[in-house]
Amino acid sequence: MSTQRRYSASTISRGKLVYERVPPDQTRPVVEHEMKTAPWRLTILGIAFSVLGFLVIVQLIRLQLSPWASDVPLEGVDRAYHIFYPPRGEIYDRWGRLMAGNTLVYEIGAQVSYIRSPETVAFALSKVLANHEEYNNPERNYYADIVDAIDDAEEAGRSYVALADFVTEEELSQLRAWALTYENLPQMRDYEGEQASLEGLMFRPRLQRVYPEGELASNVIGYVNRDGIGIYGVEEHFNELLAGTPQRTWVPLDPYAVAEIPAMDPGADLVLTIDREIQAAVEAILDEALVETGSESGTIIVMDPDTGEILGMTSTPRLDLNRYYESGEVFTGNTPFNRAVSQDYEPGSVFKVLTMAAALDAGAVTPETVFQDTGSISIGGITITNWDYGAWGQQDMQGCMEHSLNVCLTWIATQLGAGDFYGYMQEFGFGRVTGIDLAWEATGRLKVPGDTDWYEAELGTNSFGQGVAVTPVQMVMAISAVANGRGEMMAPHTMLSMVRDGAQYTPVPQMVGRPISSDTAETLTEMLANSLENEASDALITGYRVAGKTGTAEIATPTGYTGNETNASFVGWGPVDDPQFLVYVWLERPESSPWGSVVATPVFREVFERLVVLTDLPPDDIRAGMGIP
Amino acid sequence: MNHIQTITQAYSQTPWRKQVQMIGYFLLVLVVGAVVAGFYLNVTAKTTTIGREIQSMQVHIYGFYDLSGDIANPEEIVPIEELEQNIASLKTELAYLASYEVMHERARDMGLEEVDPEEIVYLDIAGYVGPQTAVLAPPPQPVVVSAASIDPAFRESLFEWVGGQIRDTLKLFNGVEP
Repeated sequence: MSTQRRYSASTISRGKLVYERVPPDQTRPVVEHEMKTAPWRLTILGIAFSVLGFLVIVQLIRLQLSPWASDVPLEGVDRAYHIFYPPRGEIYDRWGRLMAGNTLVYEIGAQVSYIRSPETVAFALSKVLANHEEYNNPERNYYADIVDAIDDAEEAGRSYVALADFVTEEELSQLRAWALTYENLPQMRDYEGEQASLEGLMFRPRLQRVYPEGELASNVIGYVNRDGIGIYGVEEHFNELLAGTPQRTWVPLDPYAVAEIPAMDPGADLVLTIDREIQAAVEAILDEALVETGSESGTIIVMDPDTGEILGMTSTPRLDLNRYYESGEVFTGNTPFNRAVSQDYEPGSVFKVLTMAAALDAGAVTPETVFQDTGSISIGGITITNWDYGAWGQQDMQGCMEHSLNVCLTWIATQLGAGDFYGYMQEFGFGRVTGIDLAWEATGRLKVPGDTDWYEAELGTNSFGQGVAVTPVQMVMAISAVANGRGEMMAPHTMLSMVRDGAQYTPVPQMVGRPISSDTAETLTEMLANSLENEASDALITGYRVAGKTGTAEIATPTGYTGNETNASFVGWGPVDDPQFLVYVWLERPESSPWGSVVATPVFREVFERLVVLTDLPPDDIRAGMGIP
Repeated sequence: MNHIQTITQAYSQTPWRKQVQMIGYFLLVLVVGAVVAGFYLNVTAKTTTIGREIQSMQVHIYGFYDLSGDIANPEEIVPIEELEQNIASLKTELAYLASYEVMHERARDMGLEEVDPEEIVYLDIAGYVGPQTAVLAPPPQPVVVSAASIDPAFRESLFEWVGGQIRDTLKLFNGVEP
């Protein structure tokens, strides 16, 4: 049947055709057809939507009743706090040899909800880690600790619990082998009759500080403890620089809110001024000297007086830095980690170098000034005598230094006057830290006029290094002004350069002050070199002219000075025409002889002889022939 | 009156048409809603999947591995952080092998002895430069701030800026200058 609309032309108005609509024919078969087909289509559609709705409801109920529903994070626990630690910067010696690096270790933990057999986990860990230093304590039951830790975490609703740390690669491999064995042998049962399984155990690699050189330069480097914090030495002083900047952030557990892991600022690498070969040499020489002299302890510093760079520094005892947890057993009582910076002492006659430098610089004396030594001098109500209680008669200033006459130096200090003497000593940096880049530097003590415990007699005793407390590093800094021939006191330092963000920064050596003139420095060096030559000192080295001074000091105790125990020291530098090394030796309480000239001077010579070989420094005459200054 | 009723009747829908129309509208809304919901579900499902993948990668970077899992798969993409960890570990291993004690021991085993200073022969080699201290990275580049490279906004005053704007506007009216 036709479905087209029918129209009748009725009127024509203003040229437009007007149509009139005719009511539709009620008997049209088209309408009847549509009326018949509509209900069953709608029924099918209704059934389909009903089924879909039913399925949606079923799915909702199924999800709600699922055993995993309880694992869905609830409101408020949709994120986890995490600290991202960047790798710690490495430490090299001046030639780029690694002194402190990082190695892979592993943390083992359990994802609590996946643990099927806590007993198997505890058994495997306690067996595999049986030889691990952290977990083989016979007083602890590691097996029970693990089971308890998992149970506690389960009760507390925690998803993860750490069970072991600092696990080595070999130990991890063993654990993985065990885990695979359990997977492949499902019939294995644990003590409770459950299926034995290590499912749920996780591991995380991370870096741990290690020291390839062990004890070498340990006093300088320090160590990093379990918590990743630098302790002592360079590790502590530059801890923030080495450690980088840890990023603390909330990590969203919601996948919609996944966030970028923050970029970490890695730790800077350090290049030390230390020369590994020189360091090893001075350590070996010191250890040998301690045995030969029977000294209680010892310290050696090797510095470049031109720049203040510490080429070698050691003291006893030393620690294997990979076994840092034994530090309590190695450094008992008040034993400092590094005596060179942390222990002050009365240095004795090596201090005369500075008294003479001050007097020469101030013009109080000249090298030709003559002093009549009568064997004693009174000052501040006390009488000072020479080391041998003898009278040395007429002496010039070189003779006073050569024979280390306390009476003469006391007289020089009185000629200088207390004001100038202490002014110079303060300019030399005594009584305050040198600022060396090592942790736990001691300040020492310099009593000055005006202090309640300063007496006039101190001027006399201080002039020859008694009654004043200094650290070895303070001594080398002060004497660097003499040794470099410029009168410039150089800041001692152990960091040569720093590598950060792909660039190497090398700080310029810092001059701390200029307490004396270059003329004074050169004059005094010449006097001390002549002194060693005149007395045929043990410090003399074939082919190299050196300057230096011995020191023997009585040791102050709460009940007065010890009579038979001394601190033996020697400070020397050379070659005189172009000083490359300033060497400071201190032996505490030597038994073979109390005198610095006997026990400390040979140590200086031995060190210097090794230095010229290790640094390829030709003898004076060859250098002069080559035109090398 | 009859005429109006006729017109109304002529233009009114039949009840069954109205019913079908209503159902049609309802279904249209339903279908559009379903399509929108479908798209929404599709997009959110993809977002969630990718989010989980990213989280999984993050776990691999800083997180944990399953002890029973196989991380030794060479085809697995190893995060750069883990590569850096491995490099650091290998460098340390190398340092152990070249440590002072090990090298000293090897030298002794080879029959080498410490040289006596008096046995050393020094040669004058023109142009020879002794060993240089460690260079692990290039020195920092100096930061040179050139005035020309600074954005004009930081170099001109407000009045200069206004004047420039006026001049630019006038150019539009005056045409392009020769």
